[in-house]
Amino acid sequence: MDAAFNPLQLHGRHFLVTGASSGIGRSTALLLYRLGARLSVVDRDEQGLASLCAELSPELREADPLVPHIADLSDTAAIEGLVARCVAANGLLHGVVHCAGIQAIAPVRTLKIDGWRKILAVNTEAALMLGKSMSSKKVYAGENGSIVFISSVMGMVGSVGAVAYSMSKAALDGMARSLSLELAPRRIRVNCVAPGYVRTPLFEQTETLWDDATKKAVEDLHPLGFGQPEDVANAVAFLAADTGRWITGSVLVVDGGYLAR
Amino acid sequence: MDEFLVEMAEILEEDAVGPSDELDGFESWDSLAALSVVAMADAQFGVRMSSQEVRSAETVEDLYQLISAKKAA
Repeated sequence: MDAAFNPLQLHGRHFLVTGASSGIGRSTALLLYRLGARLSVVDRDEQGLASLCAELSPELREADPLVPHIADLSDTAAIEGLVARCVAANGLLHGVVHCAGIQAIAPVRTLKIDGWRKILAVNTEAALMLGKSMSSKKVYAGENGSIVFISSVMGMVGSVGAVAYSMSKAALDGMARSLSLELAPRRIRVNCVAPGYVRTPLFEQTETLWDDATKKAVEDLHPLGFGQPEDVANAVAFLAADTGRWITGSVLVVDGGYLAR
Repeated sequence: MDEFLVEMAEILEEDAVGPSDELDGFESWDSLAALSVVAMADAQFGVRMSSQEVRSAETVEDLYQLISAKKAA
């Protein structure tokens, strides 16, 4: 086998990754860059983005810039402008990976309209607006198009306290299916990755709310244990690269066996 | 305290609650209500609590003191 053979390589391709300052988004940005992509990385956490850029600085390639953009994706109307700035700075896009999201435990009794609308805005509406932006000839590079939305197993099964979150992720899965059909003629694939519980800073915040018995019970629901952000990033890379060439409209579950029960 | 009592009344599905009310005296005081208190403490007061801590409280006032102590810390 040719030592240079790498079916996951992304040389010459520009990806926009949201939520890139931490967790799954950060791991995804790191992996896609190391696979050869040039990146636009987006987050509202300026320090987090700066630390990502610092981590990659020894590996930076002049031909493949890494361009950070600070943005709050709950401002849905501003997303088209954000994408335009990404294109202006780093060229036409080959793909988008939407990792940014709000995860909040909120039983329906405590749900407030503003609260669930913000969850929907970041988790679902931002994804839709990114997909809409990507569909434009002014944005899309015209080949090898791949949009990946980070969904959740909570979009497929229920969980106490996850009403708004589940709603946002189930909507994302359905939206991705229809969007995949609309964008297939332009050879833009649209898929979701649905992780189970992954050890991210967001997850660790949720974990502090659990007592020891709950922690063990939740971990026992994952035959392979809790996941790592890299597990999800690997799946994203598979869908982003030519390895995902014939995959669209799908939800790739990456959950350590959580849904197999 | 007033804002907290309004939130607790909503969680406990009562018209109003008082600080000295015992939590076990409310029909709606269950694990879901406890989780709702956890969510409310985070969203409304910026305080993170565990379900265990919430369930250790006996009265509405106890919960308020727990939240106040964490907020002050």
